[in-house]
Amino acid sequence: MGDFKLTTVEEFEAATNRLLETGAKVGADAWQIRVKNQTPHCKFGEQGICCRICSMGPCRITPKAPRGICGCDAHGIVGRNYLKFTAGGAATHSDHGREICHTLYHAAADGAYKVKDPDKLIRIAKEWGVETEGKDIYDLAHEIAEMALLEYGKPFGYQRWLKRAPQHTQDLWEKAEIAPRAIDREVACSLHMTHMGCSSKPEALVRQSLRAGLCDGWGGSMCGTEFSDVLFGTPKPIDTEANLGVMNAENVNIVVHGHDPSLSEMVCEYADDPEMIAYAKSVGAKGITVSGVCCTSNEVAMRRGIPMAGNFLQQENVVLTGACEAIVVDVQCIFPALGPLSKCFHTKFITTSPVAQMPDSDYIRFDVGTAAEKAKQIVKMAIDNFQNRKPELVYIPDMKQKATVGYSVEAIVKTLDGVTNSQVDELGTTKPLIECITSGVIRGAVAMVGCNNPKIRPDYAHIELMKKLLANDIIVVASGCSAQAAAKAGLMDKSAKDLCGAGLKRVCELADIPPVLHMGSCVDISRMMILVSELAKDSGLNISQLPVVGCAPEWMSEKAVSIGNYVVSTGIDTFLGVDPYVSGSDQMGYWLTEGVRDWVEAAYTVETDIEKLVDKMIDRIEEKRAAIGI
Amino acid sequence: MTLFDRVFSGNDAVYGLTETAIDNAIAQYGADQAVAFPHTAYSLPCYYAVTGTKVSNLGELKEALGVVKTLMTREKRLNDAFMSGVATALCAEFIEVLKYINNEAPYEEPCSGHLMDATIRELGVPLVTGDIPGVAVVLGSAPTKEEAVELVKSYQAQGILVTLVGGVIDQCLEAGLNMGAAVRIIPLGRDVTSVIHVVSVALRAALIFGNITPGDAGNLMKYTFERVPAFVNAFAPLDDVIVACGAGAIALGFPVVTNETENIFRVPKSLIVQEDVSKFNATSLEARDIKIKITKIDIPVSFASAFEGEIIRKGDMQVEFDGSRKDCFELVCTKELTEVEDHKFTLIGPDFDEMEVGSKQQIAYIVDVAGKSMQSDFEPVFERKFHSYVNCIEGVMHTGQRDMIRIRVSKNTYEAGFRAKDLAEVLYANIKNEFDAVVDKCAVTIVTDADECTKLRHELAVPAYDRRDERLTSLTDESVPVYYSCIMCQAFSPSHVCVVTPERLGLCGAVSWLDAKATNELDPQGPCQVITKERVIDENLGRYEDVDEAVAKFSRGALEHVTLYSIMEDPMTSCGCFECICGIEPFSNGVAITNREYTGMTPLGMTFGELASMTGGGVQTPGFMGHGKHFIASKKFMKAEGGVERIVWMPKDLKDQVAERLNKTAKELYDIDNFTDMIGDETIATDPETLLEFLTEKGHPALGLEPMM
Repeated sequence: MGDFKLTTVEEFEAATNRLLETGAKVGADAWQIRVKNQTPHCKFGEQGICCRICSMGPCRITPKAPRGICGCDAHGIVGRNYLKFTAGGAATHSDHGREICHTLYHAAADGAYKVKDPDKLIRIAKEWGVETEGKDIYDLAHEIAEMALLEYGKPFGYQRWLKRAPQHTQDLWEKAEIAPRAIDREVACSLHMTHMGCSSKPEALVRQSLRAGLCDGWGGSMCGTEFSDVLFGTPKPIDTEANLGVMNAENVNIVVHGHDPSLSEMVCEYADDPEMIAYAKSVGAKGITVSGVCCTSNEVAMRRGIPMAGNFLQQENVVLTGACEAIVVDVQCIFPALGPLSKCFHTKFITTSPVAQMPDSDYIRFDVGTAAEKAKQIVKMAIDNFQNRKPELVYIPDMKQKATVGYSVEAIVKTLDGVTNSQVDELGTTKPLIECITSGVIRGAVAMVGCNNPKIRPDYAHIELMKKLLANDIIVVASGCSAQAAAKAGLMDKSAKDLCGAGLKRVCELADIPPVLHMGSCVDISRMMILVSELAKDSGLNISQLPVVGCAPEWMSEKAVSIGNYVVSTGIDTFLGVDPYVSGSDQMGYWLTEGVRDWVEAAYTVETDIEKLVDKMIDRIEEKRAAIGI
Repeated sequence: MTLFDRVFSGNDAVYGLTETAIDNAIAQYGADQAVAFPHTAYSLPCYYAVTGTKVSNLGELKEALGVVKTLMTREKRLNDAFMSGVATALCAEFIEVLKYINNEAPYEEPCSGHLMDATIRELGVPLVTGDIPGVAVVLGSAPTKEEAVELVKSYQAQGILVTLVGGVIDQCLEAGLNMGAAVRIIPLGRDVTSVIHVVSVALRAALIFGNITPGDAGNLMKYTFERVPAFVNAFAPLDDVIVACGAGAIALGFPVVTNETENIFRVPKSLIVQEDVSKFNATSLEARDIKIKITKIDIPVSFASAFEGEIIRKGDMQVEFDGSRKDCFELVCTKELTEVEDHKFTLIGPDFDEMEVGSKQQIAYIVDVAGKSMQSDFEPVFERKFHSYVNCIEGVMHTGQRDMIRIRVSKNTYEAGFRAKDLAEVLYANIKNEFDAVVDKCAVTIVTDADECTKLRHELAVPAYDRRDERLTSLTDESVPVYYSCIMCQAFSPSHVCVVTPERLGLCGAVSWLDAKATNELDPQGPCQVITKERVIDENLGRYEDVDEAVAKFSRGALEHVTLYSIMEDPMTSCGCFECICGIEPFSNGVAITNREYTGMTPLGMTFGELASMTGGGVQTPGFMGHGKHFIASKKFMKAEGGVERIVWMPKDLKDQVAERLNKTAKELYDIDNFTDMIGDETIATDPETLLEFLTEKGHPALGLEPMM
């Protein structure tokens, strides 16, 4: 067991409080202060019963005014808001995926972006019926990239990736009319349906929400994941570290933040460049440390072992250390607060994407053609900024944990191959995991995903839920900010096996894995969809029969709702710790928590009491086990 | 039924049987009736290992059953299934110990029942060296007796220790398979509960070698999981009781391979369904990650460590080479590289087929070796291995060494085509395989011609032995520049370190200073590392800063100080596989020594097993020390406390074995003639009072020495 000990949420908070003291000295604002200013929140907004989609309003529903000016009731308003929310998330993930496809389209043997996993590209090409024999790998890459880009706007047919799902699941989608068509079409159609004077029937709005979610998870997100692997390599187990202590006071600290690995990969590449390291030394630093925040961090951690400085609600903390030379961001989940905050320190806040432009930032527009030189420029800018550091403001909490990350589906299958017996088993399947589950050694699996949200004590829900699941022999796969919470706590250290029940502990020992498997960024929840599909195919069960559930206890973004919709649509019961602004309509509540089960064999459970949330998940897993007699 | 339900049901059934059996025993014998397994210091071993509580009578056994009940929780978690498996095993132990009430030997040949502590200590070294690469537990009846025998023999051929439970025993008996500890096939018993006797070996190994605190169930199970390479082969049909026992095995880290397909669940690396019994072997080894060192030798019979203990009786013998009657010898000669033609075989004299059946013959084998890193100091190291090499041939028995060897070749082996060139091939292949780092070329000459044997023995072999003996006597702790560490045992005894010096060989008796030197030479990163001896603190105690540093390093901080020559101050630790143990005998100011083979009582009031349980596992216990037999006659034997003149008692057999050398040492050190005549043994006394009378009568020098305590 050695010296292994989890880092507690109390310790996280003590470190944050210490950093906020630094912030107070320089007059910095912080989300903790802004939450107070915003509390109490608007009740109408919280319940989803405020409508401002036309200029007759805004309308809000009360007992005295049960309908808006157009006559729409609470159910229609909540439903439209819910669908708009979903469309926002689906658009965001999918546009990220589209950027990756464009990058692949421009990959070249002598360019900044190369094909690092040609085998995966060839596998996908075969899956899509493209001839690969005798073809130059870059010609193939461009051909596949173009095909993928056409998935966004194709006039006819459904998403190509759907074929990866078990036939039963595909049949359900077809029957429920939620098989997603072109990605952009589903987003546009959603916005069309929510326009003034279109849909106000909850059932229809929920149906389209599922469909829009599916175009994300089984469309745009899957493009993002799969082609990121082709470009930057398919993750395999790699050791890294997590929490603010990964920043090094003696080095130039560059923090990458956002979601698209195209930028962060290049920054990492140049931070490793001997010329740049020498340059950093010339300004008095000992070297260059790149660390990450949010999902771009997950991307580079999974592929390069780049340490994770923190997750969503820790983004301001990295600046508050006073030791951050540059925080370089691409897209999504970036606090506009970073602009004014960086002005309180020497930190350069560098925005790079036309999609995410913010005041008080240095905007260095990043594109495929100029990626290398821009990345170099950014690294150099950070190094130049080292001398501007104010030593009296530097405080990096000495807090970090080891983590083994990089569990793509490919890596999981490879790990499972390691526990097979060549005399009786076949390789390359998920069957060993199924055997662990059917025998009861592992009771089931929970996909832990999602963000932080000040409405929940940050990281507390993620960590406490996981601990209880592990103790009950339930394996956890995690992505996004949930994965980072686990890593910060130490749950991705292989030593965390000692926190598990005897069954999961034995599995961790035999397979040499941590009990919480890091599957990537939020876009990579598509990996989880592939994993459950494989489990279903290998076990002969339907996805909905597997003792597997999804959980987003601290979610906050539109993307999370889109994710929830495709996870439920795939047949996985999904548990939320934050209400998705639907409490104003019992009909919407019915559709999401019960009605959709008739279509997709799964539904949502919303439970804001974290203790109850985890017990409900465990109960659901045991119910599913009992139903199939295991 | 789920897998866990089956485990729970089997556990409940066994618990019920145990409760009834204990109640009946109490009714018959009373609660005060003593219960114990013979020749163990840990009775009841499994229950003691798991709970830390010893059980000595039926009343306590009944209480223990109450404790077992608390393990039988029924949540749907693996921990509950594991603990119910352990509970089932403990119940089996209780049922088994009842068989031993008023009966030391309830089991009849060929079944062994309980295995004594000494047996486990003997297994230590071969398990560490990989000579015994694993332990198979074969349970139930194979589909046919041919399949049973084939499976058992396949393990035997790999050197794996095979224990048998249930129908497979009679299947092997019917097929006429030669069984017994000597050939590494141990039938435990016909009842399924007798499987506990091998579990007991695994758990005692953790106490003996791993220094696991009895009652520390977590670390106990971690030890067996990580360090005991056992596995189970359970034949269909598996009832719930066997499934429950299997859960116990898996809890300890031992995978179960079965051909049962009905109502069974598969668990990777733990519960594996293999319908083809002929693949049990390969499946099991892979499941337990056991690697077999392959010495593939092109001879007409098997070659495996399992045959090392095989006895060839006179009637089965084709030919015998007897060094006590004829001129025989075995010799390694270092040559220049140009002088040796690799893999050359020369036979001088007739081959085996020209020898009369059942006759006594002469034989000599000379193994010429050459290599850039070869040193003549390694010659005896190689030579001593010949015993094991030749013995590992199926149907060939070898005893003795140098020119006092005896070799028997069985009729079956001869009939399989085994001839002199095959013997040469065995020597060649093993030398090249094991010592490839120093031997580049190797050639074997076998001489069976009587005149030539006589001539070579006197002109070549005897002078070589004399030269070596001279070299060995000159090898003293003072004369060599460095010592060696030996941590071969750390696979089992993680914090033990031996310091090997010329006059103090490893306490297992298996690693001399030359062996350690050769091992270091062959594998510089291996288990034997150089320990300098430059910074002496106390010469008399044998205390060196260098030694302390090395011990601290190799024990990873578990030990800080070790003396080479004292058993009172920071004595050297032991792993648990020592041949002998000595302990203070306070009435006479002396020490009594006892050895593994002697199961009787000593004047210390404890048997070997009980004494051994006081130390071992890398723990320092002043006043007690494990050591090799050879060390007894060393001038450095507890030199700090006065040396060998402290020895007041030894079992007779041991005394006879060491007499010549010990007497020589006593003569040199103290000018005492026939010192061993002054030493007591079990025929004289096993209590301190009688011993003291004897010592006083003999005028034993220890009586005049200062008290050790």
